[in-house]
Amino acid sequence: MSANASATASGISALQGALVAEHAAIYGYGVVGAMLANGLQSQAQAYWVDHQEARDTLEAMLVKLGVTPAAASPAYRLPFAVTGEASAVRLAVLLEDGVVQAYLGVVAVTDVALRSFGALAMQPPANRAVVWRGSTVAFPGMPATTTSA
Amino acid sequence: MLAASPTTLALFLALSGCKGPAVLSGPPPVSSQTQMLLQAVTAEQNLIWIYTKAMAGYSALRPTLAPLLAEHQAHLAQLTARVVEPPGKKVPDAVTAWAGGRKPKLAATADGALVQLRATEQAAVARLLDRSLLGGASPSLAQLYASVAASEATHVTTLTSQVEQSRTGS
Repeated sequence: MSANASATASGISALQGALVAEHAAIYGYGVVGAMLANGLQSQAQAYWVDHQEARDTLEAMLVKLGVTPAAASPAYRLPFAVTGEASAVRLAVLLEDGVVQAYLGVVAVTDVALRSFGALAMQPPANRAVVWRGSTVAFPGMPATTTSA
Repeated sequence: MLAASPTTLALFLALSGCKGPAVLSGPPPVSSQTQMLLQAVTAEQNLIWIYTKAMAGYSALRPTLAPLLAEHQAHLAQLTARVVEPPGKKVPDAVTAWAGGRKPKLAATADGALVQLRATEQAAVARLLDRSLLGGASPSLAQLYASVAASEATHVTTLTSQVEQSRTGS
């Protein structure tokens, strides 16, 4: 495989990873929204739409690169039981953190345009995670082990 | 046994094909990646300086600003840890470079300070997302820049909502 083909392959793989995370977030927000009410539910609905738009962007990028975008799973296993507002909010944080981490994977590719795209795309989910968590974090998307002193 | 006389040394060097010791040159130039990293370090130091000033000047802002300052200190530690100190160039440990060469004056009101901090954060995010910075970095360093930029983007949002709360009095 040539260096260029390899770079493209890693870019495609990273974009597919981000797409998979967006699919999971779209599914997850359906669960989150069902457990929230009033303002929080409207918030979840708005974020659900944001993830759909991000999914569409990623799919369009992949099609442009001549590959078939990863499909969403028909269902996802939740990491814990979502039974009320607190667990719904906890799931929302997890979903957003997962999306941030997936875009951070795009930043690691060699293509500068993709790097920039990934770095910019990290910001909306990082901000949404802050809304749900109620506080900021120092290193969105980074594993704790690489950033702890 | 050969005596170590100048004549013997010259003969030895001639026979071994050795041209003698190389002339010492200056330290190698700092790589562009290191230069950019040092700029990112300086930008964090500047942010820490202005946060510290704002907290000292407006104690009511401390609860909002203290966690953000702590994150900047964590950013600085991570960025500094990536610097391989080039010979003859020490990692700066104090604020060294503001745009225009002068430290800014803290805004005259708490609201003004929030707006000032927000603008400084926005500028820092833009610098970290500069294509030459991201593109010139190793994958892991690019990820660190992107993560720090995402963190600072959340600071912008936090400061914006604080400004709005302050304006509406809520």
